[in-house]
Amino acid sequence: MSSSADLNTGVARKSRRSDRRRPRISGLGLALLAPALFLLSLFFFAPVILTGVFAFTDLSTSTGIGRGQYVVTPNLLRQLGDQGLTEDDATAIASVSISIDEAGIARATEGGVDPDFLSEIEDRFAGESFDDPRAFSRELRGLPNAPRRPRELTQTAEYFETSVLNTRFDNPEALTAQLADVAPDVSSDTIAWIVDRSYTGARFTTANFERLATQKETLRLIGNTALYVAATLGLFNVGLGLFLAIVLFYTPKPVTSFYSTLWLLPRITPLVLYAIMWKWFTWEDGFLPIIADQLGLPSFNYMKGSVVTAWMTMISLNGFIGASFGLILFSGALRAIPMQQLWASEVDGANRWQQVRRIILPQMRWPILFVTSYQTLSLLSSYEQIWLTTNGGPGRTTTVWALEAFTTALSNYTGNLQYGLGAAMALVLVVVGLVLSIIYLRLFKFSELVSRPKIEL
Amino acid sequence: MTKNFAIFPLIVLLTLVSLPIAVMYGFLILDTFTDAPPGELWPDRFTLAHWRFLWDPSVVGNVWKAAGNSLILAVSIIVIVVPISSLAGYAVSRLNLPFRRFFLAGIMVMHAFPAVTLLIGVFFVLKFTGLYNTMIGVILVKGSLMLPFGIWIMKGFYDAVPWEIEMAGVQDGASRLTVFRRLILPQVKPGLVALSVFAFLDGWGEYLLPRILAPGSDMEVLSVFLNELVQADQLGYDFNLFKSVGVFYTLPVIILFVLFQNRLMNIFGGGTKG
Repeated sequence: MSSSADLNTGVARKSRRSDRRRPRISGLGLALLAPALFLLSLFFFAPVILTGVFAFTDLSTSTGIGRGQYVVTPNLLRQLGDQGLTEDDATAIASVSISIDEAGIARATEGGVDPDFLSEIEDRFAGESFDDPRAFSRELRGLPNAPRRPRELTQTAEYFETSVLNTRFDNPEALTAQLADVAPDVSSDTIAWIVDRSYTGARFTTANFERLATQKETLRLIGNTALYVAATLGLFNVGLGLFLAIVLFYTPKPVTSFYSTLWLLPRITPLVLYAIMWKWFTWEDGFLPIIADQLGLPSFNYMKGSVVTAWMTMISLNGFIGASFGLILFSGALRAIPMQQLWASEVDGANRWQQVRRIILPQMRWPILFVTSYQTLSLLSSYEQIWLTTNGGPGRTTTVWALEAFTTALSNYTGNLQYGLGAAMALVLVVVGLVLSIIYLRLFKFSELVSRPKIEL
Repeated sequence: MTKNFAIFPLIVLLTLVSLPIAVMYGFLILDTFTDAPPGELWPDRFTLAHWRFLWDPSVVGNVWKAAGNSLILAVSIIVIVVPISSLAGYAVSRLNLPFRRFFLAGIMVMHAFPAVTLLIGVFFVLKFTGLYNTMIGVILVKGSLMLPFGIWIMKGFYDAVPWEIEMAGVQDGASRLTVFRRLILPQVKPGLVALSVFAFLDGWGEYLLPRILAPGSDMEVLSVFLNELVQADQLGYDFNLFKSVGVFYTLPVIILFVLFQNRLMNIFGGGTKG
C-alpha cells in the first residue's frame, strides 16, 4: 500500500468523523420523501388545520362553504322583531315599491307572462312607479289582454315589485345603501345591526364549544364512548385476545392454525359484508332470534330492539374484529417467553393455571399495555361499524362521540349538515388522540425506534 | 409444549367462544347454495338460484361493473401507496434528514391515529380542490391515509437490510440511487409484496370514503353497491341473496389471504387497527 493511499484514507476517515458529528442533510432523502410529504400535507395536515379552523365557525349547509351574501328575509325581520326591532322600522324595511322598468319586463318575460299583455304594460306604464301593489294590480286589470284569473294577475304584478327583502347583496355597503334608500327613517345604527345579522355566510364563533360544554347530550356521549371503549377493550381486545392467545399457545398446531384463521376472518372480511352477517345473526328472523324463539326465550331484533341487546351487539361485533389484534400481538409475545421457564415450572409441579398466573401473565405486562393504549385510540374514533349496524340506536342510546361528530357534519337525515359543530367535535377527538399518542410514544421508548440511520454519506 | 395437561377441555372452551364466528361464516357459505323454509335455519334444498345475479342483471343490477370499479380503486391505491411508501421508507430508514426524529414521531402518531377523525377536514380539502364527488379524490385520500402505515412498514423492512450491502455498493462507485434500485429494492421484495396485497385488500373493502366523498359518482364500488342492496327494502331482506353477493365480493380477499397468509400475518402483527 502506497503512502498516498494511506493519506487518502486518512483524510476520508477524518472527514467521515466530522460528518458524524454534524451530518450533512441528504438532498436525495428529501427528494425521495417529497411525494409522501405532498400527499400527507394535502390529506393529513391540511384537514387537521381545517378542522381546527372550522371548529370555530358556524359553518353549515345553510351558510354554505364559500363566502356568504347579505340577505334580509321576512324570517330575519321576524327574529329581529323579537329582539327589539320596532314594528314601524320593520314595515318600512319590508315595504314594496313598484316600478315598470326593463329589469321588471325581463323578469316577467322569463317568468312566462303572455307577450301581448307584457307589451301593453310596457307601452302604458313604462317609467312609472307605484307605492301600493293593489293599485298597480287594479291598473293592470284594465288592460285589454289582462288574464282573467286574479292569481295570474298578482303574479304578473310581482315581477315589477322591488324590495330589499330576499334580494342578495354581495357586500354590506350595497345592502346598507339600499336599506337607507328604502327606509330613510330608520336610524343608521339599526341599519348596521340589520346588515350585520343579514349575513348568510359562516362566522367565527366559539358557540360550538359553548354548546358542547353546556348541553346535557355531551355527558351522555362521553358516557357512551367510555362504556364502548372500556367494554370492547376489556372484554374483547385484551380479555378475549389474551385468552385466545394463551389457549392457542397450549393447543396442538393444527388446532392453533384453524382457530387463528377463524379469528382473523372478521378482520379481513369487508366491513359491509361483516355488518350484513351481524344483521343476519341478530335481526328478527335471523339466527339468534330463531334459536331464542325455539327455546322459548324473548325473540326480537336484538340489534335495535332493546338498549341492552343493542349494546351487546355493538360491543361484540367490534370486539370480534379487535380480538384478533390482541391475539396476534399476544401470540408473538408468548412465543418470545423462554421455554425453559415453562419446562422448569412443570418439573416443579406447577399446574397450568399457576403457570399462566406466575410466569406468563407477568411477562405480558408490556404487550397488554401496548394493545390497551393502541386500541384505545382506534376505538375512540371508530364508528363505521356502528354506523352500518345500530347507527346509534335505539334512539340515541348507543351513539358514541365519533359517530355523533360524523353524523352532525356529514350524514344526517334532516339535510342541514352542521360542519362547524361537527368539526368542533372532531377537534376534541384529534386533541385527545394527539395527547394519548404522545403519552404512549413516551411509554414505549420511542427514541429506541428512531435511532440514527446507520450510514450518512 | 409438553402434554402433561389435558387439552380437551381447552378446545371445548375455545370452540364455545368461537361459536358465533363459526356460525356466521358457516351459514354465510351454506346459505348461498341452499334454501331454508321461513323461520327455520336448516336448509331443505340445494339451489343455485341465489347466484343468478352473476348473469342476470335484473336481479340486483350489474355486479360486474361494480366489481370492475372496485378493482380500479384497489389497484390505484397500490399504485399510490407502494412506490411512494417505498421511497419515503428508504429515506427515513437510511438517509439523514432535517427533523428526522420529529418526522418519524409524526408518522408513528399518524399511523396509530385513526384518520377517519379527519374526514370532515378531508371533505373540505376535496371541496376546495374540486375533487369532491370524483373517484380520483377518493383514491388520493385513501392512498394518503394509508401512507403512514406504508412508510412505517417499509421502514421496518429497510432497517432489516444489512447496511454492508449498501456500503459495498457505494464503495464500488455506484450512486446512492443506483444502490437503492439495484441492491436494496430486491432485498425488500417481501415487504413490497405484503404492502401491495394489503393495499389491495384495504382498497377493495373500503366503504366509507366512496360513500361519503363521492356519493354522486357514477363509479359505484362493490361495497356501496352491496350496502345499498341491503337498504333497499323491495327485496324484502333476502339474506341469502345478500350473502351470495357478499361471498362474490369477498372471494378475491379470501384468495389473496390464502395465498399470502403468512406475510399478511406478519404485517397484521406490525399493527393495523380495529
